[in-house]
Amino acid sequence: GDLGPFNPGLPVEVPVWLAINLKQRQKCRLIPPEWMDVGKLEEIRDQERKEDTFTPMPSPYYMELTKLLLNYASDNIPRADEIRTLVKDTWDTRMAKLRLSADSFVRQQEAHAKLDNLTLMEINTTGAFLTQALDHMYKLRTNLQPGESSHSQDF
Amino acid sequence: MSDSYFPVGPGLGMEENFLSLDDILMSQEKLPGRAESSLPRLAVLLGQGAGSAESVPEGSKLEIPLWLAKGLHDSKRRIISVELPKIYKEAWRTVFSADANVVDLHKMGPYYYGFGSQLLNFENPENPEIAQTDSVCFLQTFIARFRRIMDSSQNAYNEDTSALVARLDELERALFQVGQKGLNDFQCWEKGQASQITASTLVQNYGKRKLAEVDG
Repeated sequence: GDLGPFNPGLPVEVPVWLAINLKQRQKCRLIPPEWMDVGKLEEIRDQERKEDTFTPMPSPYYMELTKLLLNYASDNIPRADEIRTLVKDTWDTRMAKLRLSADSFVRQQEAHAKLDNLTLMEINTTGAFLTQALDHMYKLRTNLQPGESSHSQDF
Repeated sequence: MSDSYFPVGPGLGMEENFLSLDDILMSQEKLPGRAESSLPRLAVLLGQGAGSAESVPEGSKLEIPLWLAKGLHDSKRRIISVELPKIYKEAWRTVFSADANVVDLHKMGPYYYGFGSQLLNFENPENPEIAQTDSVCFLQTFIARFRRIMDSSQNAYNEDTSALVARLDELERALFQVGQKGLNDFQCWEKGQASQITASTLVQNYGKRKLAEVDG
């Protein structure tokens, strides 16, 4: 898409990669997203702890954005340290929840699940592990079916 | 380097993967059996006598590798009969169902799941329920141990993991490594190490060897 026009002192929307680059060249000041705020993040964290399922996150890349903005533009973000702690808490809560639900998923030998509000970062961190474990489980379970033995050679 | 190396994985079913090194090692494991007919001129190989002309008498006890047992086993022509190894028998199955987490599967295995799945090939057609209980038993064992593997692989960051994996079967070890990799990659990214470019291990080893040659 088109970007700009760029005028000094006026807010303009750009992709994160460009914002970081301009910031590093000291050509701009970053404005934190609306949700990156201590009050709102506390609310999100408490909501996350209360509910059994995953709650919707303020951004599909909340982890990535927090990390990039805090690493490169922490001087533009008010109370950066508190935000870092809050996001980390939310992440830990969600990962613990993910592990719990994966365990009950495996225990009940389910074959499918719906994970609407997980972000890509969360899926990717455990994804390979989970799919491989379920793959093994599937194979161990289909050993039961007698139809497969008909493939073996008859001497 | 490990990104461009695709080893053939174990089959973990009724059939092994032909080119899987894990499966080849697994099929070397010995299986208790009994000769149902006499086997001429094989006594030397099977450790039953000295002379090359001696035959293995009918009914003698044998310890044969899985691959050989699989080839000789046939429900119609009775050449050999195969018994279940101790750890797949009823007594051990009870232990597994009591608490699968306390069992040292590496000592019992190390290919507990793969070998066990292969054993389903030998079950007599008359009693399919044994195959069923076996299979259910593997599945239950795996499920019971899943939580432990997941937790330990994803919580242990920058720790010595040898104590954790010591009791795991080869299949579970591979799974543990995958979980660790996920955690490590994420932590690396969080600390900002993922954006640093490092030389591949292949190049590093190559450089070392060259230096050593120059020194020598």
